[in-house]
Amino acid sequence: MKRYLTKHEARKVDSLYRDDKGKEKWSLVDKLLLGLSPRDYLAQAVRNPFNWILAMIFAVGLPLIAGRFIFGLSFVTHSSNDYPWGLFLAFGLFTMVPLSASGFMLGTTVEIFGRHDFEPIERLALLNGLLGYFFAVVYLLVDLGQPWRLPYPMVVSFGTAAVLFLVAWHVATYLSVQVAEVSVSFFEWMNWPKAKRFIRKMAIGLTVSGIILSTLHQGALGALFTYAPGKVHPLWYSASFQWIHFFCSSIPAGLCMVIAVSTVVKKTMAWRCDRNFLDNLDKLTIGLAKGASLALVTYLAIKVIGIAHDNEWAYLVTGWGLWFMVEIFLGVILPIGLFAYAIRHNKPGLVRFTAFLTIFGIVLNRINTALIAFNWKLYQEIPHWREVIICITLFAVYIVTYRFILYRLPILYSWKAEPALAEELAEEKVHYPGGAPAVEMYRTMDN
Amino acid sequence: MFTTLKMLSGGIFLAIFSLAVAHQAGAQEMPDVIEIDSLSHLYEGVTFDHSMHVDLAENCSVCHHQNAGVPVQDQNCAGCHAGTTKSHIVSCGQCHPVEPFSAEYLRQKEADVKRYHRDKPGLKAAYHQNCMGCHDDMDGPTGCQDCHARTEAGDKLFHAGDFAPQPGVAQSGHH
Amino acid sequence: MKGISRRRFLAASLAGGAATTLTLSKKAFATGTFEGYPEGMGVLVDLTRCVGCRSCEAACNKEQNLPAPAVPFDDKSVFDQTGHGGQKRRPDENAYTVVNRYEPKGAGGPVYRKVQCNHCNEPACLTSCFVSAYSKTKEGAVVYNSKVCVGCRNCMIACPFQVPGYSYSSAFDPVIKKCIFCYDTRLKNGKPPACVESCPQGVMTFGHRKELIKIGHERIKARPDRYIDHVYGETEVGGTGWMYLSSVPFDQVGFDTTMGKEPIISNVKDFLGTVPMVLAIWPALFTGFHLLATGKKEHHDEDQSHAAEEEAEK
Repeated sequence: MKRYLTKHEARKVDSLYRDDKGKEKWSLVDKLLLGLSPRDYLAQAVRNPFNWILAMIFAVGLPLIAGRFIFGLSFVTHSSNDYPWGLFLAFGLFTMVPLSASGFMLGTTVEIFGRHDFEPIERLALLNGLLGYFFAVVYLLVDLGQPWRLPYPMVVSFGTAAVLFLVAWHVATYLSVQVAEVSVSFFEWMNWPKAKRFIRKMAIGLTVSGIILSTLHQGALGALFTYAPGKVHPLWYSASFQWIHFFCSSIPAGLCMVIAVSTVVKKTMAWRCDRNFLDNLDKLTIGLAKGASLALVTYLAIKVIGIAHDNEWAYLVTGWGLWFMVEIFLGVILPIGLFAYAIRHNKPGLVRFTAFLTIFGIVLNRINTALIAFNWKLYQEIPHWREVIICITLFAVYIVTYRFILYRLPILYSWKAEPALAEELAEEKVHYPGGAPAVEMYRTMDN
Repeated sequence: MFTTLKMLSGGIFLAIFSLAVAHQAGAQEMPDVIEIDSLSHLYEGVTFDHSMHVDLAENCSVCHHQNAGVPVQDQNCAGCHAGTTKSHIVSCGQCHPVEPFSAEYLRQKEADVKRYHRDKPGLKAAYHQNCMGCHDDMDGPTGCQDCHARTEAGDKLFHAGDFAPQPGVAQSGHH
Repeated sequence: MKGISRRRFLAASLAGGAATTLTLSKKAFATGTFEGYPEGMGVLVDLTRCVGCRSCEAACNKEQNLPAPAVPFDDKSVFDQTGHGGQKRRPDENAYTVVNRYEPKGAGGPVYRKVQCNHCNEPACLTSCFVSAYSKTKEGAVVYNSKVCVGCRNCMIACPFQVPGYSYSSAFDPVIKKCIFCYDTRLKNGKPPACVESCPQGVMTFGHRKELIKIGHERIKARPDRYIDHVYGETEVGGTGWMYLSSVPFDQVGFDTTMGKEPIISNVKDFLGTVPMVLAIWPALFTGFHLLATGKKEHHDEDQSHAAEEEAEK
């Protein structure tokens, strides 16, 4: 992408105006097409080999999704009454939600604890959170028997004693909070400073709401399994602490997801990132890793406490126990060791690898709890192949949406200041805590 | 002449005696065959060979457990019924209700707080429970249609016979 | 300007938290103490009497307008059918009740068991439903309202007896399918369910639940050699409306004997109680952190813009 742009001398859309003099504004179409002509835009899309893979996935997956809605769930699942929840929920909901915990984690870090040195990566984390939750709802819509009735627990009939009621309300409210938080970038891009100011004023309130809502629904997803005490294998189940286990593990999940996404971004769309982002990334990656490893150590401790509390030591020496140890080793213990080494010796590359490993551990934990170690006394259920393909397809849509937004909105880069003021600021050499020169920071202009 | 008189009186005495015994044994005559069809709807009535069962049973109370001239054997019953020797009730339907679970019957049962027998089976259950015990032990008929053939209504309910599902009809659901 | 929004937010969240706490608890019942409504009916299923004739399955099929079965109801080969992983038949969208055959060692013959919704006193399905699709009627039936069901299938996860089935085969109106104690057609009018009426052997005894518990124990006392000394469902998961007597240990005929006496909601209520606590504590806690962490700075952006303006003016 970068090579292509440089070769054809196309301008990156990263400010209000096409030119340096502040005379000609970018149109909305320009912003959408990244400053390229429609033909050039299409050409670059076709050249990109990743898009060919996406095209193949969509060719197979999109008809299957249509089939699910035309023919019903029996077309894409095994219609199991013993395993009512399949991969759509085990992966789409129970896994995507903790991986999207990055929103409230970085929001808290920057806005509540005042660690503004994390600002370069804050917007990416917020976007990650928003898209993760949004697509979790998409997966849910594919899974629900009657998805057009999704608003029912909000407006038609309330089952207030149900944990799922809490999850539904919180996810809906939290999505609104996250939309508000990410809308700041959107308003910058659209040049709506009043709207942006309105949201920025609520920053603390939005962030605190985000923490409350996240604590509760991350925990509530765990509490859902307390409805089936006999069905989840004891090593993955804790009558008293299930919700704490799920909440605590969502912290390293969110932080490592930010590291992982920023790694992918750095490798595949470095042209879109500004110096503020790229120069600070390694340092911030180490910082995120410190948080993640603290949370992982805590998670290990509370898992051991959970086993001790329910006296489940005997299960560790069974076949299931071995599988449990594999998950804990790969997802928790090994990352703790690797993070410790990498942080001490300042190795961002190793941190990045370990972040991917941790994410794998979280995915494994959620799928174990919801699908593999579920109904452990019965038979093992292998999801239908159509279910697997739909999961992959929806994840591909998620990636495409992610990429679409990252290419355009000022998430990885800062929206440039007005040219006149930019010159002044450059002359005065004003800098901000992150080390970036003020000329790169557009945000100061509107507060 | 004395011998003839003795024989005559002995004979008359015997006749009166056997009549009395026969009277004792049962106010009504012992039928050879009974048509049990008060409940027939899904199945035809049962043509019941009473005389065969009379020959097989030790005494009447084996089936007519409500005490037909023999002291009560079951310990659970003897507590109250030890003294009784005879009951006028012979037919099962005189005690066992056709609808044991109707709202009315349940209400009646619960209103009668002094009543002991609260777990009395209905008539259909009484028939089957009473018969099947021996039939199982003595290799009697135990299949449903061994004693009573199904009617058309029964075939319809059971989706059997003329109403059986066509082979090869796919069941919806699991695949 | 900024100070007001934060204060306003704090006040609103505290008020909201208080409001939620006040409105949440209405009933005074502790979980596990509900023993059923006074008029609650039940059914005592005596497995020593069942001969596996499947009349109950046929009667249920007719009463509830279920689809025609794959094989006739007098076909005993279904007892040999196994599903995934060797599982015996279970209730699903086409059959609200099934009878299974077990051959426990030393029983001297097969034991048959009828499976259907147990109409629990504190049903897990009801407590897990976020649109209140289930209700426990005063007659004791646990019934289901398909008009509000979203199809989340949490009730199927929650039911400890693996009872509710889902009509996955329907594309546009998939709903839960389970035994409803023949509520609409019979129980509402005081009549016993179709299966109870159809049974030739009197396996099922219909009556008030409290009465049935007494009858069950009396039967055990009268014939101690015939029955295991336990009425299954008397206390399991808070007590169920449909209870069982058996001649062999219950775990040998497919019953889960590890359930305990607490209803399923007992596992969940501790978390539910934590929710208003978090709603009430988190706002002050994190606003406090914010104040402590950022010291004199009320709002980062305010400071930044001050600095920029000052610099720009120089």
